[in-house]
Amino acid sequence: MMNDTILQVKDLVVDFNTYAGKVQAIRNISFDLKKGETLAIVGESGSGKSVTTKTLMGLNAENARIAEDSQLIFKGNDLSKLDAKGWQKIRGNEIAMVFQDPMTSLDPTMKIGQQIAEPILKHQNVSKAEAMEQALKLMVGVGIPEPKEHINDYPHQWSGGMRQRAVIAIALAANPDILIADEPTTALDVTIQAQILRMMKDQQAKYHSSIIFITHDLGVVAGIADRVAVMYAGKIVEYGTVDEIYFNPQHPYTWGLLDSMPTTDTKQGSLEAIPGTPPDLLYPPKGDAFANRNQFALAIDHEQQPPFFKVSDSHYAATWLLDERAPKVTPPAPILQRWQHWHDMQAQGV
Amino acid sequence: MTKYILKRLIILLFTLWIVITLTFFLMQIMPGTPFNNPHLSAQAIAQMNETYGLDKPLWQQYLTYLVNALHGDLGTSFQYQNQSVSMLIGQRLPISAQLGLQALVVGLVVGLWLGSVSARHQNSKLDGTLGVFSTLGIAMPSFIIAIALLYLFGYEWQLFPVSGWGDSFSETVLPTLALAAAPAAVTARFVRSEMIESLHSDYIELARAKGLSDKELVNHHAYRNSLIPVLTLIGPMAANLLTGSVLVENIFSIPGIGQQFVSSIPTKDFPVIMGTTIVYAAMLMFMILVTDVLTAVVDPRVRLQ
Repeated sequence: MMNDTILQVKDLVVDFNTYAGKVQAIRNISFDLKKGETLAIVGESGSGKSVTTKTLMGLNAENARIAEDSQLIFKGNDLSKLDAKGWQKIRGNEIAMVFQDPMTSLDPTMKIGQQIAEPILKHQNVSKAEAMEQALKLMVGVGIPEPKEHINDYPHQWSGGMRQRAVIAIALAANPDILIADEPTTALDVTIQAQILRMMKDQQAKYHSSIIFITHDLGVVAGIADRVAVMYAGKIVEYGTVDEIYFNPQHPYTWGLLDSMPTTDTKQGSLEAIPGTPPDLLYPPKGDAFANRNQFALAIDHEQQPPFFKVSDSHYAATWLLDERAPKVTPPAPILQRWQHWHDMQAQGV
Repeated sequence: MTKYILKRLIILLFTLWIVITLTFFLMQIMPGTPFNNPHLSAQAIAQMNETYGLDKPLWQQYLTYLVNALHGDLGTSFQYQNQSVSMLIGQRLPISAQLGLQALVVGLVVGLWLGSVSARHQNSKLDGTLGVFSTLGIAMPSFIIAIALLYLFGYEWQLFPVSGWGDSFSETVLPTLALAAAPAAVTARFVRSEMIESLHSDYIELARAKGLSDKELVNHHAYRNSLIPVLTLIGPMAANLLTGSVLVENIFSIPGIGQQFVSSIPTKDFPVIMGTTIVYAAMLMFMILVTDVLTAVVDPRVRLQ
């Protein structure tokens, strides 16, 4: 994997002005994305993961405001300062997006082949016939059977899985540097999910693109991501490589997420849930936003936001538990098992 | 498609028969007789009834009417003696139809344009102003609009003739505008809401994510999707406009069929009531059929079912 950074998000703050007041959807996050890598952003509904991606596409609603000193450095340019025209050159061309619901995201009155050819015609100087030729190749690439026979089909003639392949073909059409996938398999059957994910990985390898993968499903992440950022209440609370997040999680919220994920060991009826609900981002709490739901919360968690503590060069977590003055807590048993596994992996030098 | 249209035409004829039957018997429930002039003697009335076959039993009258209607004979008007209903309709319907067609075209074009402009500038001052006008267009009866137009364009500024028919196109301008106001307003509101819904849909967001400009989004995606539901409006609207309007025709002294339709009812001019009802019903059903076929042509989801 090449190591050059293609996208650098610095101090991103996004607010939404609503009748009720200012909703602080993204409360200062920073991350970077390297060429060819897959970064998964994980979090529950309302954690700000979708707003993050929409911000990267310039697709936020009109009442959204990006803070002045936020920076979204993509290939040396700050995306947060782009105007409408500038965004049109980026969208679908250098940064493309796969949407969540294939049943509603294709135009019902336009032939699918045409919809795939549209971004090609928009961004590349080719004839209509050439664009359709490329669309056909893309359809082959995303695994649509007998694409020649189906290029003039309308969306309602296709199943959800096939439509999502078409949506992915549209995203790949202009060979983007970054592919943003916002829960691309959530609306699909579980059996189709794996196929779609594998196909996305294949296409990523072919086009050398980077992927930002948004999901609430940690199970999906293991198979596709290189690195994981866990978001909660508009902040990143922990990030690291997939192995670090899975086997050496440090933030109690990450523990909760991993604990509530069914595994083959899960006994019937014993699936864990994180108690409570996320905070209201109209009035975000003073300290750690997760403190109220956190059984391991310290007094300081309610008072002061934790900084990022370094776990390794690639692994950081924002929890006061990592402060050297903090008492040692014992995480839930399944997390201890993961730690044990991590320990074994380290010992074997994996 | 041909099979579908044929099937629809057969259903249309069947429905028309039901309309004829219902109208025929409902007419009989109306109080009074066609010949209630106090100057007529009882003998004269009896003779009239005999001439027009009104002395026969009802079921016989009904069958006679059906058989005649099948042969294209819609009878003779009671009110205008010796004038056949077919001739009456033949003379007056084209006038109403021309006026109605002009109004339909103007109404649709203006409505589509205003509606899409409103939708693209949703909640702006322009949108608000257009909203007030379309509410007025729907709420104000056509005769008030007609009188206002007459006063301003006919009397105050003298741009167009105030009444008449058949001498010049300029005579048709004011009645066309008066008739077009309501359909324009209805279309504008409908197009606006359809367009807004379309512009907030997932497929528009995906299209925006392709890098399309706002103009391309509207022209390539939003228009087609928001116009399909509008097609369903056109059928009833067209039938309504093409069959004439009593008030507007009266105000501008236009010899259309609208006036005929209404005056035939209090005078119990049975053949004219029947004839105009049949024309209206046939027109409505035919227009709905036309819009259904059009929808099938434009909407791929309908085409294949």
